[in-house]
Amino acid sequence: MSHYERDLFDMQELSETQVTNERPLPPKTFHLWLIAIPLCVAIIWSVTGLNITISRLLDAPSDAWAILRQMVPPGFAEVYERGAVGKIFESVYIAWIGTIIGALISLPLAFLAAHNVAPIWIRSPIRQLFNAIRAVPELILAVILIPVTGLGAWAGTLAIGLHSIGTLGKWACESIEDIDDGPVEATKACGGKWVSGMRWGVLPQVMPIVSSYWLFRFEINVRASAVLGMIGAGGVGSELVSQLSFRNFPAASAVLIMTMAVVLTIDTISAAVRRRIIKGAENTIDEESRTLEAITDLTGIRS
Amino acid sequence: MNDDLTASARPTKPKPRARSFLIAVLLLALTFWAAFKVSFDLSTFWAVWSNPIWAKFWPIPWDWVLTKENTFDPLIETLQIAVASTLVGCLLALPVSFAMSSLTTPNKVVYFFSRSIMNLVRAVPDLFWAKLLVTAIGIGAFAGAWSLTIFSLAVMVKLFSETVDAADPKPLEAARSSGAKHLPAVRTGVLPTVFPSYVAYSLYIFELNIRASVVLGLVGAGGVGRVIETQRQFFRFDRILGLLVIIFAIVWIIEQISVSLRKRLV
Repeated sequence: MSHYERDLFDMQELSETQVTNERPLPPKTFHLWLIAIPLCVAIIWSVTGLNITISRLLDAPSDAWAILRQMVPPGFAEVYERGAVGKIFESVYIAWIGTIIGALISLPLAFLAAHNVAPIWIRSPIRQLFNAIRAVPELILAVILIPVTGLGAWAGTLAIGLHSIGTLGKWACESIEDIDDGPVEATKACGGKWVSGMRWGVLPQVMPIVSSYWLFRFEINVRASAVLGMIGAGGVGSELVSQLSFRNFPAASAVLIMTMAVVLTIDTISAAVRRRIIKGAENTIDEESRTLEAITDLTGIRS
Repeated sequence: MNDDLTASARPTKPKPRARSFLIAVLLLALTFWAAFKVSFDLSTFWAVWSNPIWAKFWPIPWDWVLTKENTFDPLIETLQIAVASTLVGCLLALPVSFAMSSLTTPNKVVYFFSRSIMNLVRAVPDLFWAKLLVTAIGIGAFAGAWSLTIFSLAVMVKLFSETVDAADPKPLEAARSSGAKHLPAVRTGVLPTVFPSYVAYSLYIFELNIRASVVLGLVGAGGVGRVIETQRQFFRFDRILGLLVIIFAIVWIIEQISVSLRKRLV
């Protein structure tokens, strides 16, 4: 084998293809078309439903640009006088209380849903409950709750709290399932009851990771509560909606910038605290699969 | 701190430091203040059940719900928004993700700007984008599709650029050492290894977009949320409940298909 061939050999081994001395045949392109054609059909079908005319498509960038230009410079003074800062803090408070409600309710439920510590007759209904809650977005929950509680921050808080039960419960339950069974057995061997096993065997193991999930959920909830204001459930969303309705673009951009600043600040602080909590925690296995779902939430769109 | 490891006695509990005590007090104070500000009301948990409003949610008027113009046309519009924005957003995300990864970025300037712009875009919640675009380019599905495109682009580049970061750099090195230019090197050295996760993430984004497109209509950006918003203003909660049942049944079916596809990919 020549030097070149040996290199080729190594490379082929690296990419785990079949080892031959000939140049490999290019893969057949049949499958590509099988995917490309449905994709094209899908995009044509979907675009036909959006009432897109050529003129609208061509005007959109200039329309957006016209508004963007009116947004500079942002009118901070005006929105400050209207109490936008208080509204933003209201969003943060909604997220905080919502997270606490979600955390306090989901934690005991998670123990009843984990397959290594709970019997099947209790855990399957609770898992179904988590799944059902997670399926309904906060906004829809708020739409249902507003007539019951009335407009205002409390509707948003309840909606966020309820929705958080689903995700927090699922995450906590997964981390309980990942634990080392030794401490639980040890408590049993000492004659401890089920509750003592949970308190002394499970809780200390999962608490770091679970509390970091709480914080993570708080970050998501800040975004969610900002949005909830748009339908009247308290927080900064209502401020943005009214400024945009009055076409007061400098004020709208000020609200937007302030919201972004608060969201980014909270994200950064919370991420730092979470890193601090997790450093030294043993239960970081399977972090990867959860990250995907976690980022779901991070983005404000929920799964 | 504790050198006395040989002691056989029960270890003493570490005393809480002044700082942790201070943090605890602060958090507790924040919680009480926040609870006060959101008019925390424990009685709601009980009072909620006796509220007469619940009677308005039942019975579901199926003959109203199961009609083409009330449910299925807006639902199809919702799906169209989700499909269009997923396809466009994910297609745009491919080059941007490569620009955002330190492994494949063409230069520092592009790297920095793509990263910071995308982070800023992601800091604005999805429905804020929808409302902004509704104001800018008019009420309807067009604005909704744009807002979801922007948002799925921002989410997709975050997910996918992390995958590109973690990709095996050796094929890229090999391509570069054989004299390939930047683009062909990325195309042959990195893209094949990350493409399966690209498709998987796209499907995942599709699931997110389906869910998000349901609520877009609440701010006037088209889809089935528009019907929910209208009925909400008429206080027809029975109709809303019927709509929600249909929506979540269909969303669930689509998600199951997408999830099973994703499982086969990765």
